[in-house]
Amino acid sequence: MTFRDLVAISAGNLSRMKLRTFLTVSGVVIAIGTFVAMVSFGAGNQQYISDQFDKLGLFSTMQVQRLTKTAAGDSTEARLLDSQALTDLSKIPGVRLAYPFDAITVTVALADSQLSAKAQALPVSAMQTRLFSQLRAGSSFSSDSANETVVTPQFLHLFGLSNPDSIIGDTIVISVRVATVDSGLAGLLPRDSGWVRQQVRSVRFDSLLHSDYRQRQAKRLANEAISRFVNGFFNHRAILKETLTVVGVLEERGTGHTRMEPIILPVSIAAKFRSAGLSDDPTALFSALSQGTIFSLDSAASSRSYPQITMDIDPTVPLKSISDSVTVLGFRPFSFAEMFEEMQKFFFYFNMALSVVGLIALVTASLGIVNTMVMSILERRREIGVLKSLGADDRHIRILFLVESGVIGAIGSVVGILLGWGVARVASVIIKRYMEKEGVGPV
Amino acid sequence: MIRTTEVCRHYTRGPQVIKAVDTVSVAIAEREFVAVVGSSGSGKSTLLNLLAGLDSPTAGTIEFKGTTLNTLSRRSLSQYRAKSVGIMFQSFNLIYHRTALENVELALYFNGCPFRERRATASAMLERLGLADRMTHRPADLSGGEQQRVALARALVKKPEILLADEPTGNLDQDNAWQIMELLTDLNRQELTVIIVTHDLDIAGQYAHRLIRMHYGRVVESLTATDRGRA
Repeated sequence: MTFRDLVAISAGNLSRMKLRTFLTVSGVVIAIGTFVAMVSFGAGNQQYISDQFDKLGLFSTMQVQRLTKTAAGDSTEARLLDSQALTDLSKIPGVRLAYPFDAITVTVALADSQLSAKAQALPVSAMQTRLFSQLRAGSSFSSDSANETVVTPQFLHLFGLSNPDSIIGDTIVISVRVATVDSGLAGLLPRDSGWVRQQVRSVRFDSLLHSDYRQRQAKRLANEAISRFVNGFFNHRAILKETLTVVGVLEERGTGHTRMEPIILPVSIAAKFRSAGLSDDPTALFSALSQGTIFSLDSAASSRSYPQITMDIDPTVPLKSISDSVTVLGFRPFSFAEMFEEMQKFFFYFNMALSVVGLIALVTASLGIVNTMVMSILERRREIGVLKSLGADDRHIRILFLVESGVIGAIGSVVGILLGWGVARVASVIIKRYMEKEGVGPV
Repeated sequence: MIRTTEVCRHYTRGPQVIKAVDTVSVAIAEREFVAVVGSSGSGKSTLLNLLAGLDSPTAGTIEFKGTTLNTLSRRSLSQYRAKSVGIMFQSFNLIYHRTALENVELALYFNGCPFRERRATASAMLERLGLADRMTHRPADLSGGEQQRVALARALVKKPEILLADEPTGNLDQDNAWQIMELLTDLNRQELTVIIVTHDLDIAGQYAHRLIRMHYGRVVESLTATDRGRA
């Protein structure tokens, strides 16, 4: 009896019991399909996230932040992320580039529209890193001092634009209202000569012999002077404007990544705004006063600290060594690669759980095949007897039923794999669309 | 050709031992037509199963052309059934979902007949037995006589040396019974050894060269045609 005979007999028997065969094969198809879909879904998700991390350059990016007070220890003041820190971090082996997160609030005008937005300064070298080099349209700005800007999809959204190409080459006007010490001093000066006369008249010279009176007058004059200074500081602010050409639109990216503001400015342009004066924020004034930099805003701008520094790192250098170096310098490192390692642990257990569910389905389907075969053997005992009387031995009978099971398993597996693959693909498309619709990023 | 020596087939059912075949010694020569007769439960079908290699004796030996069957491996015994012995059953034992031709073809699956020759050989055998127009019919569409002829074709298609038939006419009317017996006689004349089991003494007496009468598992009488004529 050849293998061909066995397959022919098996196929004949299976086709004779169409309903039972159909139901058993369906069970196998569903089980295999479930298993394949589960495993594909888990592996696909992992791969997708890994690809997205890689595509966005997150594996070669490390964020550095100040230590919180608790982390730094009560007795130690957490180190500032200032220019010295930037220099120190740049020197760590494996760090290709370190640049600060430096954002300012600006008013941006495009055609007839004007609104308030955040702008972020980035050196050209940072624009070359994978984190910022993926552009939806146009190119990066040409130099750190070019009157050019790169915007994000969020910017397009703010101005109701849908086509990124349409904005390339357009000009936008960035303006910042700054308060300077000059405007404060201008407020301090008397408005007219009558004010001096009035002040002189109001003084009772005979009372100047009394110290109480002198103190009251001095306090009054000091209060008025401070009031005029502060009013002058905030109400006579200068407006600094820069006209910039939009040269590029960055690729869309989801939330949860590195901070990115709608407008990216070359560092020199941002520095102009930064050194021209203090921002609207009253704390800036008090900060300048307390630091003694109110009369030297240029130096204040250069010695300021940043909320975060981003480092572009060499992926071939062990992440741990860079991370340790950052910690030694007194900062808190955060890398997406380390986060991804944690995620991989999660994915391992997630995939295991999915596989177990799939395996349960497989075991159930296997029991279905066994049940079908047992029923078939019991029903065909007479046929088995006839075959044995014709010269079939136990091996023939065993192979005959194994081939029947195999045919069911093979058909079920092939269809199940295709079904599982199809289901995983469809689920992937639906989830992707849903995530896009909900504005959720790749992760 | 085939010989049994002190063959026993005992079944144990609890404390009871059923002696289906008990110390039976018979020898059947080539081209002989033997009928094993006896009442129901006399052990004739059990003896036939032992000769066919479908059952194993609990004692004694069965020899086929000098080979002791009860020492053969299961696979060798299967080969014995596949090549040397043709078996017919009272209830035909045709596979109901297969056509007459497919039923006959089945016998060729296990004797090494090449795939291409199988169908032609089976068709030729059915034509020889007058079933040329019934080849594509399933057993349910055939009469009892036709079914028995299909069963006979299945037993003969592999060209066995010995034909064992268990009540070949038991389920047939008189006409069909005679037809089958005529066929068996023809085959016997063409050098086929035939052993039938029957309780129909008329048929047995008319066609068989020798009658072996069994009673309670034992052979009580073995009569040749000459003996019967003398009687």
